Amino acid sequence: MDSDDVSKMFQTESEKLENLISNATAKSELSVHEIIKTYYQIMNVSSMITMLKPQIVGKPQSFLDKIQETEKIISEKFNSNLHPQIIEQLANSIQNTTKNLQSDSTGEKSKQDIENESNIYEELRQKMSTKEFVEQYDKGLSHD
Amino acid sequence: MIKELAKNLVNLKKEFAIIYDGKSQIQEVIPVSKSEMFPIKQQDLELLHQFATKNPIYYNSYEKTIGKTLCIVYEGDINKYWLNSIQQSSSRAPFSPTWIMSAYVGVLLAKDLGYQEVIDIGSGDGRIAFCAKILDLESYSIEIDDVLVDLQKLLTILDFHPYCSDAVIFDYSSLNLSQPIFFIGGLAQMGGTVLASSVLEKINSNSTLKKNTGWVFAGTYSQKYPPDPKNEAGWGTLIEKNNLKSIQTVSLPTVWTFHEPQETPYIFAQPVLD
Repeated sequence: MDSDDVSKMFQTESEKLENLISNATAKSELSVHEIIKTYYQIMNVSSMITMLKPQIVGKPQSFLDKIQETEKIISEKFNSNLHPQIIEQLANSIQNTTKNLQSDSTGEKSKQDIENESNIYEELRQKMSTKEFVEQYDKGLSHD
Repeated sequence: MIKELAKNLVNLKKEFAIIYDGKSQIQEVIPVSKSEMFPIKQQDLELLHQFATKNPIYYNSYEKTIGKTLCIVYEGDINKYWLNSIQQSSSRAPFSPTWIMSAYVGVLLAKDLGYQEVIDIGSGDGRIAFCAKILDLESYSIEIDDVLVDLQKLLTILDFHPYCSDAVIFDYSSLNLSQPIFFIGGLAQMGGTVLASSVLEKINSNSTLKKNTGWVFAGTYSQKYPPDPKNEAGWGTLIEKNNLKSIQTVSLPTVWTFHEPQETPYIFAQPVLD
């Protein structure tokens, strides 16, 4: 892969990330799928930056600018703003779902009721493991 | 006979997993009657069915012929117990049971090895301790979660002695054990190692008990979990560190492996005698 290809690939991946962050910022609540997709892209682009930085000598200024701009987006828009909101959203959502499930334990339930409720439990498990994943990212930030 | 029984149970589970089209969170089967594949006393089978029928974790059951074996399928849901157990800071692993038939086969092997008492640690709904009682062994069921112990008390068709206690601080000397075998609930990677180490330490402090006690560990070969460098389905390091040796492994169906191609290996271990 020559340096033009690398530059183009970085450009494409950074744009994908910017779109994901804009979409996420515009929404009041993100689905588990959207959260995972956004963090995956953050980690993807961050790894690219780590890999590209030592090779930056002799590359066009525009490429350097793009890396710096992307770093700024990750730091200011994502790490300082969106990421804490996502943690809060997940924590609130887990708390509310747990409360609802615990209060909904009265009376006899039909087979259908139990199996429908089982789907809500499955969503709760997904949210919990997503929260663990997001918290792992957070631990990485505090070590930076 | 026990190995053959375990193999037949695994084959039954595999056939059932292919044909099962229900939506329940958990499901398991118990043959209706004694057969060549399942040469189990009819009276024992009936007690296993009673345990399932009375157990509130199951909300539906129906007859189904699986392969050549007429079975009852039990459909259940353990979500509320899961939610309760993850909220207990002292709970080491969420409740997820082995199959009732697997509990029976596991205890059958323990009896065949000469053990006289079964202590089910992290016993969930108490099915292993219940099966021990069916097989005329003395049994004790130790569970930290009070909601699960209340559930066990509904199931004492035979008294398998449910105790609501932290297995790590339980006074085992009060049981006057002579030749016990401990079934440790939970995979090594899911808190089982910590639990087993603490119980081992307590038992090993009594030299007579130390040499007479057997151990059963529920293992996994799943790549979801990090392997143990000494193998034994996750338990090798603990087995070596505690001067135990693995004497037999039997693979049996469990709720958590229903959708998996591999069953749960139960590692039977004994002390290495000097």
